[in-house]
Amino acid sequence: MQQHPLVAILTRLGMFVLVMIALSIMIFVLARVVPGDPARMALGPAATQEQVEALRQQMGLDRPLPVQYLDYANKALHGDLGMSLVSQRPVTTDLAQTVPATVELVLVSVIFMFAVAIPLGVITAHYRNRSFDYIGRFLSLTGVTIPSFLFAITMQLVAARYLSDWPIIGRLDHGLAWQGGPTGFLLIDGTLAGRFDVVLNALKHLALPAFALSMAGIGQITRITRSSMLENQRKDHVLTLKSFGVPERIIIFRYLLKLSSIAPLTIMGLEFASLIGNAFVIEMIFAWGGFASYGLTSILQKDLNAVTAVVLVAGLFFIIANLIVDVVISIIDPRLRRKEAR
Amino acid sequence: MADMKMLDASDRGLSSGYMMWYRFSRNPAAVVGSLILISIVILAVFAPWLTPYPKHVGAVVDFRARHLPPDASHWFGTDKAGRDIFSRTVFGLRVSLLLVIGVLGISVPVGTVLGLIAGYFGGWVEKLITGLTNVMLAMPPLVMALAVSNLLEPTLTNAMIAITLLWWTWHARLIYSVSKSIASEDYIEAARLAGAGPIHILFREILPNCLAVISVKTTLDAAFVILFGATLSFLGFGVKPPTPDLGSMVADGRQFMPDFWWEVLCPGAVVFYVTLGFNLLGDGLRDMFDVEN
Repeated sequence: MQQHPLVAILTRLGMFVLVMIALSIMIFVLARVVPGDPARMALGPAATQEQVEALRQQMGLDRPLPVQYLDYANKALHGDLGMSLVSQRPVTTDLAQTVPATVELVLVSVIFMFAVAIPLGVITAHYRNRSFDYIGRFLSLTGVTIPSFLFAITMQLVAARYLSDWPIIGRLDHGLAWQGGPTGFLLIDGTLAGRFDVVLNALKHLALPAFALSMAGIGQITRITRSSMLENQRKDHVLTLKSFGVPERIIIFRYLLKLSSIAPLTIMGLEFASLIGNAFVIEMIFAWGGFASYGLTSILQKDLNAVTAVVLVAGLFFIIANLIVDVVISIIDPRLRRKEAR
Repeated sequence: MADMKMLDASDRGLSSGYMMWYRFSRNPAAVVGSLILISIVILAVFAPWLTPYPKHVGAVVDFRARHLPPDASHWFGTDKAGRDIFSRTVFGLRVSLLLVIGVLGISVPVGTVLGLIAGYFGGWVEKLITGLTNVMLAMPPLVMALAVSNLLEPTLTNAMIAITLLWWTWHARLIYSVSKSIASEDYIEAARLAGAGPIHILFREILPNCLAVISVKTTLDAAFVILFGATLSFLGFGVKPPTPDLGSMVADGRQFMPDFWWEVLCPGAVVFYVTLGFNLLGDGLRDMFDVEN
């Protein structure tokens, strides 16, 4: 029994809501039961006990945990994630400033990933057990194996040595007079404002971190595309096409590729969690100043509201990515469409 | 013809152990991976005797020898305190291997048992366990590990706890899918009719059929755990100095880029070497056992 794709997606959506609730409870409890008093930490060692108590009351830390959680959840749904104890600003303001930088980086990386990995997977499968296949497989093994920090730092070193003008940290040159735009995405804002120098400069800054961030995914996706191409080649309908004399080119690009991109897409969705994790490393190395950098600082500073928000947003990224993957798969997978057609 | 006979164990009276060895020795990835891992284990275990400067794992300071480039006496050069980086990376392997043993030693058995139970019993147990794994999978592991280990205290033990808390889910999910498909096989039904209890069916009927999958997954996971641990300590959540640890050595060396590149690249390359070993062996095992992704 095939479910209608819309039903399937709605079911997934419901599950994702449950996942978010569970995730929020888990991180909320975790952030509250750990040793160390956030009120004391916010005020510093010089504050008196009375001041700490007063802040505790003001922050609502003296109430029972379930009450605190419900209060937090209610506010969170209304777009209030509390104050950051370190920056003394609403966490949502901090997030609004940092999330676009990360999303831009991650999106460019994902585009890069598929642009490199899918062709590489197709080619290595086509030239199976020939020299090109071995080179491609070696590259994908390296991608999966190499620590992202090692790869990122190596690229920085190489760029610093051989491409002395190429930017190796930050999102934009300081020399450019740029006030920022409405979306926070440099590529979009720059295009809207007609500032193509900004777009070009941002792209140059993006190249190295995006490549470093996509490396692990390139390895994974190449491998999976290759193996699913090989597997699907043996399927009856492909053999039928072959025996009818349909040209190899058409079989590969029209039939095989579509079928074989389902597995890599699914894996991409699951791997998104580790992509976000790697973003922490890449942003740190390239001084990116995005959401992951913010997350790292807030974790180091034990800024509880910020940490909770960071984990939730990271979970949300994962969920959105998987929803997109589900939708894309239901579009390209003919088996999921069958019911509609009838 | 010779090949045919070799592969037919019963015909020639060959032991199944020999058959495994035969398939293993014909698999370059598995052989190279094992050789790498053997070299790593030997280095880690006998580190005090194999390294030129075993004392440099401690808080030794020799300012005359600081930031020396790699040469015959210091293969990987020296760091900011004049300590031999090669000796320190070899000792750093111990931390990485301990992390693997600690994390996988707990998460593999836990994940396997829960996966078996969920796959065999079904019903609310299945719903509960798969629901739990789905929630855990939505958490970016690195973010969670950072949050947990830092909210407690940024030490290796806490990082290990944090990784373990997340890691069992991947195993549970995998074993669940295998065990669910095995549970519907006829021989399980036959065992049940013969009066076998659930413990017998879970551990004597289903588990042996999962061993190939488990060994491949565990080997590949060891590489991920190493990468993960190195990344955590690179971000500053590792063992306390002066204990050498590959990730924190890279982070330390980063301050002196690009002039003293060896302080970053050498420990980083060692991480790469270890993960490569586990990945090659895992891939080799996968081909040997013919396990799917």
